Amino acid sequence: MKVSYNWLKEFVDITETPRELGTRLTNLGLAVDALESHAGDWVFDLDVATNRPDCLSHFGVAREIAAAHGTAVKPPQFELHEGEKRANAIFSISIVDSDLCARYCGRYVAGVKIGPSPQWLRDRLEALGVRSINNVADVTNYVMMELGQPLHAFDADLLEGQTIIVRRAELDEKIITLDGVERELNPSVLAIADAHRAVAVAGVMGGAETEISASTKNVLLESANFDPLSIRKTSRALGLSSEASYRFERGADVEMARYACDRAASLIQAVAGGTVYRGVIDVYPRQRKPVAVNLRRHRIEAFLGAAVPDATVEQIFSRLGFKVKTTHEGWNVEIPTHRIDITREEDLLDEVARHYGFDKFPSTLPEWSGYGSPLPTEAAERLLRNQLAALGYSETIPLVFSDASREQRFRPNVQPVRLLNPMAEDEAILRTSQVPSMLRTIEWNLNRGIRHMQLYELGKIYRHGGENRSLILAATGVERAKTVHEPQREFDFFDLKGDVEAILERFNIQLKSSANSVPAYYHPGRSFRNGDFAIFGELHPDYAEEYKFRNRVYIAEIDVEMVLASNERRIIEAIPKFPSIRRDFSLLLSKSTCYLDVERAVRSVDIPELVQIEPFDRLETGPFADSKYALAISITYQSPERTLTDHEVDNFDKAILNSLRQRLGAELRQ
Amino acid sequence: MSSNDGIGRLQAIEQQFDTESVSVVDHKSLEDTRARYLSRKSGLLTLELQSLAKLPKEQRAEFGRVANEIKLKIETSLETLQRAIDQRETQAALQREALDVTLPGNRRRIGHRHPLTIVWKEIEDIFISMGYTVEDGPEVESTYYNFEALNFPLNHPAREPRDTFYVSDDLLLRTHTSPVQVRTMEKMQPPVRIICPGRVFRRDAFDPTHSPMFHQVECLLVDEGVTFADLKGTLERFHKQFFGEKTKTRLRPSFFPFVEPGAEVDVSCVFCDGSGCRVCKRSGWIEVMGAGMVHPNLYGFVNYDPEKYTGFAFGGGIDRYALLKYNINDLQLFFLNDMRFLEQF
Repeated sequence: MKVSYNWLKEFVDITETPRELGTRLTNLGLAVDALESHAGDWVFDLDVATNRPDCLSHFGVAREIAAAHGTAVKPPQFELHEGEKRANAIFSISIVDSDLCARYCGRYVAGVKIGPSPQWLRDRLEALGVRSINNVADVTNYVMMELGQPLHAFDADLLEGQTIIVRRAELDEKIITLDGVERELNPSVLAIADAHRAVAVAGVMGGAETEISASTKNVLLESANFDPLSIRKTSRALGLSSEASYRFERGADVEMARYACDRAASLIQAVAGGTVYRGVIDVYPRQRKPVAVNLRRHRIEAFLGAAVPDATVEQIFSRLGFKVKTTHEGWNVEIPTHRIDITREEDLLDEVARHYGFDKFPSTLPEWSGYGSPLPTEAAERLLRNQLAALGYSETIPLVFSDASREQRFRPNVQPVRLLNPMAEDEAILRTSQVPSMLRTIEWNLNRGIRHMQLYELGKIYRHGGENRSLILAATGVERAKTVHEPQREFDFFDLKGDVEAILERFNIQLKSSANSVPAYYHPGRSFRNGDFAIFGELHPDYAEEYKFRNRVYIAEIDVEMVLASNERRIIEAIPKFPSIRRDFSLLLSKSTCYLDVERAVRSVDIPELVQIEPFDRLETGPFADSKYALAISITYQSPERTLTDHEVDNFDKAILNSLRQRLGAELRQ
Repeated sequence: MSSNDGIGRLQAIEQQFDTESVSVVDHKSLEDTRARYLSRKSGLLTLELQSLAKLPKEQRAEFGRVANEIKLKIETSLETLQRAIDQRETQAALQREALDVTLPGNRRRIGHRHPLTIVWKEIEDIFISMGYTVEDGPEVESTYYNFEALNFPLNHPAREPRDTFYVSDDLLLRTHTSPVQVRTMEKMQPPVRIICPGRVFRRDAFDPTHSPMFHQVECLLVDEGVTFADLKGTLERFHKQFFGEKTKTRLRPSFFPFVEPGAEVDVSCVFCDGSGCRVCKRSGWIEVMGAGMVHPNLYGFVNYDPEKYTGFAFGGGIDRYALLKYNINDLQLFFLNDMRFLEQF
């Protein structure tokens, strides 16, 4: 809210410079978002908290400053000359739905001359960024910014039946508001009506048909108090908000309505002439009962951490205009009607803390016993992150909004979390897979000339009714770039597989191939699935083409919750005391035999001393049949108890070769 | 044959060796020289020694002494020569192996942690060291936990669909991690001493200072005798630990529905140490958190006795702390995942 320094000075003596005053306002909780000089004045842009509608005016802010200064606030001085004729003789006001309207004050001003506002009034409004309309409309805006009470002026001659009825709108009742838009109302909206129709949307905006115009002679001035929740709902339902609705929905001071009505009438008289009819037509069905709140002395120290002298507490309250009575425990405080935010003891503690000064309280650390701890999976997560970094993967954090059709391509059978009010159509759901966001990250980098990368993301995926953390790895380009020292090497499937193995090994999980098929976005011949917790491989060329990837892209999806929850202990083995023996075999195998078959055939022999099998060479063609390939493997034997003899090892070799021959028809290459 | 003749010959051999040894420069000439004088079959000195037997008995001792002296001398100087040659050859070999060490090194690819993770974990560690336990909760949350139970009135602007992503009337994307506080308080009686870091969502367009998705950490302490002064002290301690011991913390009154008194928390500008710069808009202070004493209405939702317990809560953006820690002025960088950015961490 914009506040003028000069205007404030009408209500409170200020000796501080605008900048000093800004600091004071900030320390009172009225944060200054901006301070700008404007034609000999200074304008503060204040961030007024939603619970302090009493500060949504110059008078309200001045009242707060006065309390802080320990001086008195001076309400605006004005004279009102009423005519002979009584307002209630010519005009009537009734409230049908008093649950939504606590009070309605009206004044009748006859014989005004509508025209431009005098310069002082235009200047005031313009300094605060308000457009001048005409003298009467400007007065209503002026008084609202002065006292915080929204007002409205009707052309009284256009109100049919010389009456105002405050009632719920009828179903499909229509009104054209001041902004020229026709609006359809319903019974949840409070209307201001004349004898026949709605003439204003209560507390939000007046109607165009009864608007003040150049030909207006007689004015009915409205100064009312409406139910905050009702105004908020109406404003939301109509998509219409105004300075008036802004104040009403936060809560205006019901006791201000009549005073503001008089103030506005006097100003209209001053700038537009006319006769103010005698008396305010004041319909006040719901009188506000004064609220009194107790504050116990001992709560100040117990809650705030330091005692505040009694005299200071009482002074703070009395400066704020609260009526204070002492009780044997502390104080009984009567709250003025403009402070709707104060209803309980803590609210008074807040006032004491704020006006005494937050900086006056000491800084201490809470006493405690016990211990702090991370999430149960935190240690495992940090181990995982370290492992990923060591393997060369950099962490990414993408936004999780996605497009339903894009997600569908990757997770066709998952019902997504759909947003009712997305920022954009292609951000309407939460992602169901990490793959599309990772591919977009790769795309982003490729488009900027970065062709080689290894990335990971440890983040959530969402589905209707649930969310869980997941891990994705991705790599493309070279594993090692060409340098002056060595040639480049492309990242390939087995680099990815090695990384997945290394990660799972850290958590004591063995990678085992399972027969289930991989999702459609994987290259069918270059992908691997381990149950539901690890799927990895090359991105299917069709998908790569969609993203215009020219290099192969590798991805791995890992159920990280399972990995992090894996609590199998690693067994740390002693360093072997006895030497190992390595034997190499060059095998001829049928092309239909895969390496896993070889390994199984070797292991089926069940030799406890066999500690490792490793393939180290593979030839697709050579001096052998086309249906065959050559595979060189090395087998390492070791015993923890003794040095193995050549004789033993020869027997192992024989048994293994036998198994290979029998199970796979393997021959030993000569 | 007189012994004098014999000794004369020995001396001649010695002189000849002295002259010849000057030209010993490598292993080959060294071995040739060694063979010429000391070879078992034909070494000049060996032959002389073999002639010893032919000398009269009384001369043998003298001749033998001189011959052995010269032999020792030759052997010693051959050894010295050998060492010198070895050294020279090693030097030469090392020189042949010399690299252009000014060429750049081979860089292994290492991975980088995301700056938000670095800061997130750093904040967690500080609070764990101060005795807080980390808690988490769902990101798709009920309006009850996100608003009602936190004392947000039905008409609070934060509840507007303009500001909050809704999944249904009673389900939304949490706008802060405060729901975790309520969920934790529901599970246990005080003392409650937790932090809740996590991902949150607000309907802001993606720009240098806003993102519809960001990260928050909130802290909650409820116990007997917790005061506003404890809140101040805890915030001061945290910020000194995070930004450095020089950092000052300031609380300004503000309003949040779930705390009272409520405060905005400023730290002395980390870039100018509070003297005023462009980042802090010359104020010397940077706003980092919202804080306050837990509103007693919240205790009603979780059945705590407000007469017995008091507490404080505060929260701030992990993203914002990361921006300040690394002096970055564009929030978007955290979510674009450009390698040129990520590789700097």
